[in-house]
Amino acid sequence: MTNQTNPTVHSAFDDRAHAERPAADSPAVMSAALTRTRVATHKQTFARGLVSEWIKLRSVKSTWIGAGAFGVVLVGFAALGALLTSSAAGAGPQMTDPLSTVLMGANLAVLVLGALGALAGAREFGSRMITTTTVAVPRRWKVVVAKATVLTAVILPVSLIGVFGAYALGMPILGAHGATTVALTDPGVLTSLVGMAGYLTAIALIGFGLGMLFRGTTGAIAGIIGGVLILPMLLGSLLPDSWDVVLQFLPTSAASAFTVVAGSGGMVLSAAAGVVVLVGWVLAAVGGAGVSYVRRDV
Amino acid sequence: MIEINGITKTYGEKVAVDDLTTTIRPGVVTGFLGPNGAGKTTTMRLIVGLDRPTAGTVRVGGHSYAHSAAPLAEVGVLLDAKAVDKGRSARNHLLAVGATVGIGKARVEEVLAMVGLTEVAHKPAGGFSLGMGQRLGIAVALLADPAVLILDEPVNGLDIDGIQWVRALLTDFAVEGRTILLSSHLMSEMQLVADHLLVIGQGRLLADTSMSDFIHHTSHGEAVEVTSPDAGALMPLLAADGVVITSTDASRFTATGVSSDVVGDLAAVHGLRLHNLTTVTASLEEAYLELTRDKVEYVGGSRLAMAA
Ligand SMILES: Nc1ncnc2c1ncn2[C@@H]1O[C@H](COP(=O)(O)OP(=O)(O)OP(=O)(O)O)[C@@H](O)[C@H]1O
Ligand SMILES: [Mg+2]
Repeated sequence: MTNQTNPTVHSAFDDRAHAERPAADSPAVMSAALTRTRVATHKQTFARGLVSEWIKLRSVKSTWIGAGAFGVVLVGFAALGALLTSSAAGAGPQMTDPLSTVLMGANLAVLVLGALGALAGAREFGSRMITTTTVAVPRRWKVVVAKATVLTAVILPVSLIGVFGAYALGMPILGAHGATTVALTDPGVLTSLVGMAGYLTAIALIGFGLGMLFRGTTGAIAGIIGGVLILPMLLGSLLPDSWDVVLQFLPTSAASAFTVVAGSGGMVLSAAAGVVVLVGWVLAAVGGAGVSYVRRDV
Repeated sequence: MIEINGITKTYGEKVAVDDLTTTIRPGVVTGFLGPNGAGKTTTMRLIVGLDRPTAGTVRVGGHSYAHSAAPLAEVGVLLDAKAVDKGRSARNHLLAVGATVGIGKARVEEVLAMVGLTEVAHKPAGGFSLGMGQRLGIAVALLADPAVLILDEPVNGLDIDGIQWVRALLTDFAVEGRTILLSSHLMSEMQLVADHLLVIGQGRLLADTSMSDFIHHTSHGEAVEVTSPDAGALMPLLAADGVVITSTDASRFTATGVSSDVVGDLAAVHGLRLHNLTTVTASLEEAYLELTRDKVEYVGGSRLAMAA
């Protein structure tokens, strides 16, 4: 590179500008001709696309702020829920099951992850970075799959840590106050915890799909809040009971088939069916985003 | 080599690019000119497949860009320097983009140094000035040392050092046999750097010719600038078929269709004083204005009348 260090941002520009067809051995000048032979570029592969998306995701603050907020909400509510339940426990039999108590923050935390996913999907459209990305990886499906894969690789461990952290903090509090507790070895408990992490990840991916589909966070976050919180409640109270069969196919209801230990009698879907339905929602959202991104101009 | 074959792009009713056919050859800098909204950026977006053409095909290096094995190494693109994530550092931006073709830290640092951004590389790109952002955009285009360079108004916002650097770089790239497509509204800059010109207006090709042919065929050739206290006496002597004289004030005029030799000799024969006698070569700006006079999409309040 250059021998002289120039404190301004122009250093190399200056060197090039003042160079009249530099002699090959001129040390002060970096010639474009010289750099050409030294650049080792390789084929564009899916694995390299993954690396690129990983660098992108880890190099923006919002990823880690979102993950942190998720953890605080989930674990914080676990402690809070455990304390409140235990102080009420003395009065009579416990109303809710212990696992629901320690995972009480999940209802809010899922929205944090949904928003994080929406941002992951929409962000590049907002900044127009998507043009650079699309030029670098013109086979657009690769971009969608790489982004979804990297998001999953970050969100799933974060969800697992959050869920097991909530369990690890909440159960001892319940126990210390004499309330009912469950152990990881009890039937269904481990499945429920892992299932909850899977559900949280799925919602992040649905948010990602919507963010990429709408090319903006507003619509995507509205979609998540509507689909996860409002729609199940609204439809549940408005529609006659016979419609419950249909409501079971909403993402949140489908997830409750494998996140709740003691099923409430009205459950229609089996745990396996719940997984299939939720995965279906994820594939629909991410697939829809992919089709739209592949077809539309960016 | 970029082969553009009958591409048309419409956005709803608006025809942005209209049946454009041309070949952008390697080894020369091809300048891309046209008024605002003429379709330059759209054409560039079509070349790299950001937009789907309504009709026609584009081939880069013999195939559609979407089929590139190592896209960034084939084509380096600067379309919109502001198209970066505001929260990501310049270094991470380059690392992320380079990673798609296996480019790592060493080359990223090299390119940062080339464009003079090393010292601010850790800062979020959102805080960059116009020129710094432009340098980052150029760095992305150069990252994988591409065989084809497509630069949309690259010197926009660059300081004088930056402009000179880009000029030297483009000349070097052309000498090395690469293909360069460059758009700019700075005619003087374009005249310095481009060998070949593509001019479009309202999406249609108006000219596809070498720089020198463009200037000489479109404009009225060279002009002679004269300053003389005896201008009043000299001007009538020059009057002849094909000579056009534009007088700027009592002692100054510009003549086309006559050489400076003739003007000087005539003045000597008639004992008239000359304080200045200069031949001015026709500029790209004049030639361009003449060609696109009727093709401008958005005309400002008034337009400088051309001395014909
Ligand atoms: N996405 C779009 N949707 C609708 N119209 C568009 C779109 N992109 C470009 N246009 C229109 O297409 C025409 C060509 O635009 P383009 O940006 O290619 O012009 P340009 O030659 O690059 O102009 P400038 O010199 O101002 O950069 C313009 O009339 C513009 O309004
Ligand atoms: Mg433009």
